Amino acid sequence: MTPAAPPTTHTAGSILTSGLRRSFGDKQALKGIDLEIGPGGITGLLGPNGSGKSTFMRCITGLIRPDGGWARVDGLDVRGDGCDVRARLTYSPGELHLYGEMRADEHLRWLLRGRPAQACTRAFELAEQFDLPLAHKVSGYSHGMKRQLCFAAAMAPQVRLRILDEITDGLDPSRRGQVLEALREDADNGTTLLLSSHHLGEVDRACDRMVFLNEGQIIADESPASVLERTSKLVHLTYTESLTPQQLAQLEGPHTDRIQPSLSTNSKRVSVWIRDTDPRAFLAFLAEQPDLPSPRRIEYGSLSLSQMYTDIYGVRGI
Amino acid sequence: MRLSRDARNYLVYGIALFVVLEALLAAAIFWWPSFEENTGALKLLAAPIPMLAEQLNLIDAVGVPAYVVAQHFFKGCNTLGATAAVLLAMHAVAGEAQRGTMELWLSRPISRRRLFTERYLGGLAAVVLPVFLTTFTIPMLLGLVDETMGLGNLTLCALHQSLFLAALYSATMWLSAMGSQPLKIGFAMLFLCIAEFAMYMVATLTDYSVFRWVDISSYAEILSAQSLNGPRTATLVAVNVLAYVGGVRALERRVP
Repeated sequence: MTPAAPPTTHTAGSILTSGLRRSFGDKQALKGIDLEIGPGGITGLLGPNGSGKSTFMRCITGLIRPDGGWARVDGLDVRGDGCDVRARLTYSPGELHLYGEMRADEHLRWLLRGRPAQACTRAFELAEQFDLPLAHKVSGYSHGMKRQLCFAAAMAPQVRLRILDEITDGLDPSRRGQVLEALREDADNGTTLLLSSHHLGEVDRACDRMVFLNEGQIIADESPASVLERTSKLVHLTYTESLTPQQLAQLEGPHTDRIQPSLSTNSKRVSVWIRDTDPRAFLAFLAEQPDLPSPRRIEYGSLSLSQMYTDIYGVRGI
Repeated sequence: MRLSRDARNYLVYGIALFVVLEALLAAAIFWWPSFEENTGALKLLAAPIPMLAEQLNLIDAVGVPAYVVAQHFFKGCNTLGATAAVLLAMHAVAGEAQRGTMELWLSRPISRRRLFTERYLGGLAAVVLPVFLTTFTIPMLLGLVDETMGLGNLTLCALHQSLFLAALYSATMWLSAMGSQPLKIGFAMLFLCIAEFAMYMVATLTDYSVFRWVDISSYAEILSAQSLNGPRTATLVAVNVLAYVGGVRALERRVP
């Protein structure tokens, strides 16, 4: 089906795509993405490797020309090499390759070429907040430091849109928290943020909306609240020994929806989907089962992206 | 004023090329009196290679102008200049792909046409300016061995040589805009140059070699006519324009 023509209205700070398609050889990286993001808020683009997150981001920033469909970003159609669009947003690529021979301050200036001079000043301030040694060469930087340098460059210009691919990849938990806080503050000031990640746990804290991609298609578009509700119905039990089929059967009960032993750990870890969001009734039932050993670990309220895909969306091979 | 990373690289390459070309040129000019005395013996030595003998006959007939263009343009610029042109251009775009920085390079709000043109002009200046600058020192160096040559004619020769080197540079830039392996591009272009030069040295194939356009007889023609060869100049300009446009188009369509 031919995608509808781009709307003529100017929607500042928003991303609109319709029927966005892109193939690389025989592989269809994007299979017709229809999406409306913003203005404002933090949208998380989630998916396993190869799901099309980065290709989508590259298409809407003009770095890759789509084979079909259209994209309108901050009121501008993405055309040609997307230079006009990129002037209205900041983009931080997921793959982190910097020029090692440059000093960090020199690299920041290089990254911000084509931006107003204030952007450099702001980037230096942000880099200092991260304690980055700007006089050092980038070759001496760790992966996390390089990521922070890119983050400083992406956050410095005053724009209405930021597109950040795997922006927390390689950061330690405290830095990750610092980055997510900065993103929240930026979104509160009215900036539209599109983040990609293949880690569910880190973006559900920051995002207002979560778009799940798989094999170039949107398979779900949910709020963190609905993801949280699903998460609160999952209990992970880890035992010191693998449970026998009879013991696994004992987990079935009035409070259990379904159980799923982990294949990779030989049934030592079992995921139990409970009927209620309150796990106490299930835990009490568990304690009453005489033939079941005590679990070594009980986890509640955590859900990995692969569980989300396999258990909720029914996608295999994640 | 701080020079950009690219500008620094081009400046270093340009200065290095200038220094080497100038050193070769100065040594060649200081050797001219000795060469002139021994031309007969050298012609005997070169007799088994007809193309080399032809060049020596030409130098013998024309004198110091033919010797200077042979040493500076035919030998120095065609070897070192061509190598510098290929080395500078092969990394320009393909180098970014190889080191993984292509996406970062392209993701700033700067058009690809501009990015390509900046690198194209920077590298071109690093190849061409040393050719002109060294050429401009020839009258002064010749004065040291009591010889003279007009700067006007030398400038025409330098322009012709620069167009030839620029064509080689532009073609390599085009390949670089399409490829991801600079070493392969460099080897392919240098192999092509060597093959062309080998053809030049074979009497039956010499007219099919591009080096026929930048040999001593070509420069002798320019010196005697005191003007560039129109069709050759137009062809070289066309090759440059075509390769530049091809390079821009290739980069504009490229997936980072």
